[in-house]
Amino acid sequence: MDRKMITVGVAGNPNVGKSVIFNALTGSRQHVGNWPGKTVERAEGVFHYQGWEIRMVDLPGTYSLAAQSPEEVIARDYIVSGAPDVVINIVDATSLERNLNLTLQILELTDRVVIALNLMDEVERGGWEIDVKALEEALGVPVVPTVATEGEGLSELVEALVEVAEGCRQTHPASVDYGLTVKGYVQSLQADLNRLGVEERSRWVALKLLEDDPEIVEAFKQGDLAALGLAAPSASPEALQALLRRTVRLREEIRPDAKVEIVRHRYEFADSVVRRVIHRLRPEEESSTEWIDRIVTHKVWSWPIMLAMLTIVFWITVKGGEIGGGWLEAGFSWLIRAARTWLVSVQAPWWVIGALVDGFMMGTGTVIAAMLPPMIILFIAFALLEDLGLLPRVAFNLDRPMQTVGSQGKQVITWGMSFGCNVTGVMASRIIENKKVRLASILTSPLIICSGSYGAGVALAIVLFGEGALPVMLSLVFLSLGAASLATLGLNKTVFRGEPGSFVLEMPPYRKPQFGQVIWRALVDRVALTMWRAVEFAAPATLLIWVLGNIPRGVPFEQTAIGWLVHGLAPLGQLWGLSGEMLTALLFALPAKEIIVPALAMTYGLQTTLVESEQVLAYLPRVWTPLISYTFLVFFMLYFPCLVTVWATWKETRSLKWTLMGLAVPLVMAALITFVIYRGGRLLGFA
Amino acid sequence: MLKAAHAQQETEGLLSIDGLARAVGLPEFLAGQGMEALLAFGWVEEDAQGGMHLTNEGEVRAQELIRAHRLWERYLVEREEMPLETVHTEADRREHETTPEELERLDTELGHPAWDPHGDIIPDAGHRVPPPAGSPLAVCTPGDRLRILHVEDEPPALFAQLVAMGLKPGVEVEVVERQPGHLRVKVDEGILSLAAAAAERIHAVPVPILPVPLGELPVGSRARVAEVKGGGKHQRRMLDMGLVPGAEVTVIRTAPLGNPVEYRVKGTAIALRRSDADTVLVEEVRNG
Repeated sequence: MDRKMITVGVAGNPNVGKSVIFNALTGSRQHVGNWPGKTVERAEGVFHYQGWEIRMVDLPGTYSLAAQSPEEVIARDYIVSGAPDVVINIVDATSLERNLNLTLQILELTDRVVIALNLMDEVERGGWEIDVKALEEALGVPVVPTVATEGEGLSELVEALVEVAEGCRQTHPASVDYGLTVKGYVQSLQADLNRLGVEERSRWVALKLLEDDPEIVEAFKQGDLAALGLAAPSASPEALQALLRRTVRLREEIRPDAKVEIVRHRYEFADSVVRRVIHRLRPEEESSTEWIDRIVTHKVWSWPIMLAMLTIVFWITVKGGEIGGGWLEAGFSWLIRAARTWLVSVQAPWWVIGALVDGFMMGTGTVIAAMLPPMIILFIAFALLEDLGLLPRVAFNLDRPMQTVGSQGKQVITWGMSFGCNVTGVMASRIIENKKVRLASILTSPLIICSGSYGAGVALAIVLFGEGALPVMLSLVFLSLGAASLATLGLNKTVFRGEPGSFVLEMPPYRKPQFGQVIWRALVDRVALTMWRAVEFAAPATLLIWVLGNIPRGVPFEQTAIGWLVHGLAPLGQLWGLSGEMLTALLFALPAKEIIVPALAMTYGLQTTLVESEQVLAYLPRVWTPLISYTFLVFFMLYFPCLVTVWATWKETRSLKWTLMGLAVPLVMAALITFVIYRGGRLLGFA
Repeated sequence: MLKAAHAQQETEGLLSIDGLARAVGLPEFLAGQGMEALLAFGWVEEDAQGGMHLTNEGEVRAQELIRAHRLWERYLVEREEMPLETVHTEADRREHETTPEELERLDTELGHPAWDPHGDIIPDAGHRVPPPAGSPLAVCTPGDRLRILHVEDEPPALFAQLVAMGLKPGVEVEVVERQPGHLRVKVDEGILSLAAAAAERIHAVPVPILPVPLGELPVGSRARVAEVKGGGKHQRRMLDMGLVPGAEVTVIRTAPLGNPVEYRVKGTAIALRRSDADTVLVEEVRNG
C-alpha cells in the first residue's frame, strides 16, 4: 500500500496559538530551519492519521497577504506556488473581524481551507457566543472551534482537513463584495487576463493589480508570471506590460484610493459576517487585562514594576547559573578525573592527556557549565513573559525613550534578555518586524553585560577594588546601557539612515502561560541547538589555547606561543593602557567570557591550563593600578561578543556583512569608551 | 413697522397688510393704519397693479433702523450686560431716538462689529442687509448636527423663550426626531421639543465635521476613521490592522511617557506612535 500524503500549510495572524496547534499535532517530529534565502523561521512536521501521512508547514504569522513584509511574501507564495493540499487558517475567535481580513484573502487564493476557530474558551469567558454553523455558512469552508492549549477540537480539525483534502467535503468559499466600482474594474481586468490565458486565480490577480501589489506589479513589469506560480500560456511580456499600463489608468479612476476601497470592503464584509455570528450573552465586564494594564503601564508604577521584573529575571539567572553551574562543574571535574585516570592507566602520551583532558574537556566543560544554566533559565523566562503578554507592555512603556536613539520599544526587550545572555538577546530580536531595528538590536545586544561577563567581572572587581566592587559593577551596567544606546544612535544616523518604519504593536490580552509547552519549546528548540553550537566553537578554541600554552613542552613561559602572543600584542594596547597579557587573555576569553580569570592566569604565566585558580586573583592587584583595572574591566565588558553570540548573529542575519558588523560595533565602542576613560583618567592624574 | 415691512419684502417680494399684521403681532386694522403711515412718510408706494413696495427712501430708512437696532443690541449685551432676551425691546425703543451721528459714535466705540448678539449681520452704513444664511430648523432631517446661525428676534416673547431654552446663535444642536407640528432637538445633552413655528425662526447650518488626526484624540474618546493617508507600506499596514474608513476606534491609554498610544479597533488593542496615528484622520463620535 502506498502512503497517502497530505501537505498542509498552517496560516494565521501572529499570536493566535498557531505554533501551539502546530506543536500539538506534530509533536516532536518537526524540523526547524529557515525559509530559503530568508531569515524567517520555517518549521515543518509530520504526523499520521488513519493511514494518511500529514505533512505540516508552519507559515509565518501575518495580518494580511499583501506582500508588504518578508513574512507576508513567504506565506502568500507558499499558498500560491507551494501547492499545499489544504490550508489551515487559525483564527483568534476573540478578534474575529481583524482575523477575517486574512481569512478572506486566503479564500481568494484557494478553496481548500479549514478554519480553526481558536481561543474559544476566552470567547466564552468574555461572555460571547459564536454561532459556528452560521460562520461556516458565511465563509463556505469548514470551521472547527478549538481550544488549542487544552487540545480541544484538534481531532475534529484533523478530520475536517482530511475530508477537504480527499474532496469528500465540498467548499464554496465566500467571495467578498468589493462594491460596484471595484467589481466592474476587476471583471474588466479579469476578462483581459483570461484573454492572455491566465485562468487560474484571475480574480485575485486582478484585485492585486488594482491594489498596486508590489510583487504582482513587478511580475507584470518583468513580463513573467511564472515566478508567481501562475500559468500564462499565451501571454507575451509586452501584452502583460500593456495590461499593467491599463491597470495603472484604471486604478486612478477608483476614488479615493483603490487600495483603501478594497481593504475597506473586505472589512465591511468581515463586519457583516461578525454581526451575524457573534452574540453577546452577558453584559461586558472589565477584563483582568484592563486593570493589570492600568498598573503595568501606569505613569509612576510602571517604572518600579519593570525594574523589578528585570532584577528578578537577572537575579534568578545569576543565582540559578551559580547553582546549576556548580553542579555541572562538579560533574565535569568528576568526568575529567575519571578520564585522566583512565588515560594514565593506558599510558597515553603526555600531550594526548594534556590536549584532551586539560585542553578540550576542561575548556568545554567550563564553557558549558558557565553558559548552559543561565541560558536555560533565560529562555524559559523569556518564553513565559512572552506567553504571558508582558513583553509587549514593556515595549509599549519604553518606546518613547528608545525613540530618542532612533529606535523603538521592542529593542529594549532584546537588551533586557542580553543582560542574561547575549545569545538570547540576539535571538530575541526576531520579535521585531522592522528589518533595520532588528539589525540594530542584533548589533547592539552584545554591548550589554551578560551574566557570564558580569560574574567574571565581579570576581575581578572584588580583588581589584575590594569595597568599591559594587559601585564599579553598577557603573559598568550603566556604561553598557549607555554604550548600547550610543551605538544604536550611531547606527541609525549612519548605516540605517532613512525613514523609520511605522511602529505597530499588538497588545494581546494577558494569558496563562502554557508551562509544558513553554519549557519544551525553550529547551529543545533553542537551548539544545545553541549549546551544541557553543561546544562546537568552544572545543577547538580551548584545545587551541592549551596547545598555545603548552607546546613546545618545558620551555620557559616567554618561549611558548602564549609568550610570543603576549609580546606581539603588547604594542597594540598601549593607547588604552592594556598590556599584551590582557589582550591575549581577552582573545582566549572569546569562546566564553567566563574564562577570563583562568585565561589571565595563563597569559601571566601562572598556569598552563584553563582551570580556576586563586593564585592569579592574588597576583593581579599587585600589577594593576586602579585606573588600569577599571579600563580593563570596561574593555572586557564591551570588546567582543562571545563566539556563540557571533554564531547567533550569523544565524539571525545570514549575512557575512552583518556578522562582521556584529564584531566591529562592540570593538569600536570598547575602543572609544576605554580610550576616553584611560586617557581622561591619566589627565586627571591617575596612574 | 418699517422693519417688518422690509423683512416681508425681503422674503415675499411684496407687502401686504395681513402679512405685516402677522409679523408685528397687531390686529389687522392697526397694521393697516401703520401701512398708511408708511405711505404718508413716502417709505412705501403703491405700484400700477396695486402691489405695495418700499420706496428707495423707505429702504434706506429701514436699513438705518436695522443697523441702529442691531448696534444697540450689541451695545446692550456687551456694555450694559443686559440678558439677551430683553435687549430686543430696549433696542426697539432706542433705535428711534438715535441720530446718525450718535450711531456712528456707537459703531466706533464697539469697534465696528459685524454681528449682533443674535447672529445677524449689522449692515454697514448705506449697505443692504443680507438675508439670513442657513436654512430654518424646520426643514432639517433627523440626525443632522447643526450650528444655529440666527434666531429671529420677533416676536420678542418667542425669542425670549428660545434663548431661555438655550437656542442661541453659535449653539450646536442635533435634530433627534421630526413629527408633524413639532421637532425634537438635542441641546447640551437635553432634548427639547420645538413647535414648527418656532423651528421656522431658527436658522442653522450643518456643523462641518472636520476630520482630525487620530493622534490628537484624548484618552477615552471614540472616533470613526475618515481617511488613511501616508501611502505605501505604512498605509497598507494601518488598513490591515483594521483602520479602514468607517471603522470605530477607541483611545485606551497612553504609555507612561505619553507616547505611543493604545487604541482599540476591530476588537483588538494596538499601540501606535502619535506620529503614525496622525496619518489616520478620524471624526470624533461624541455621544452614546
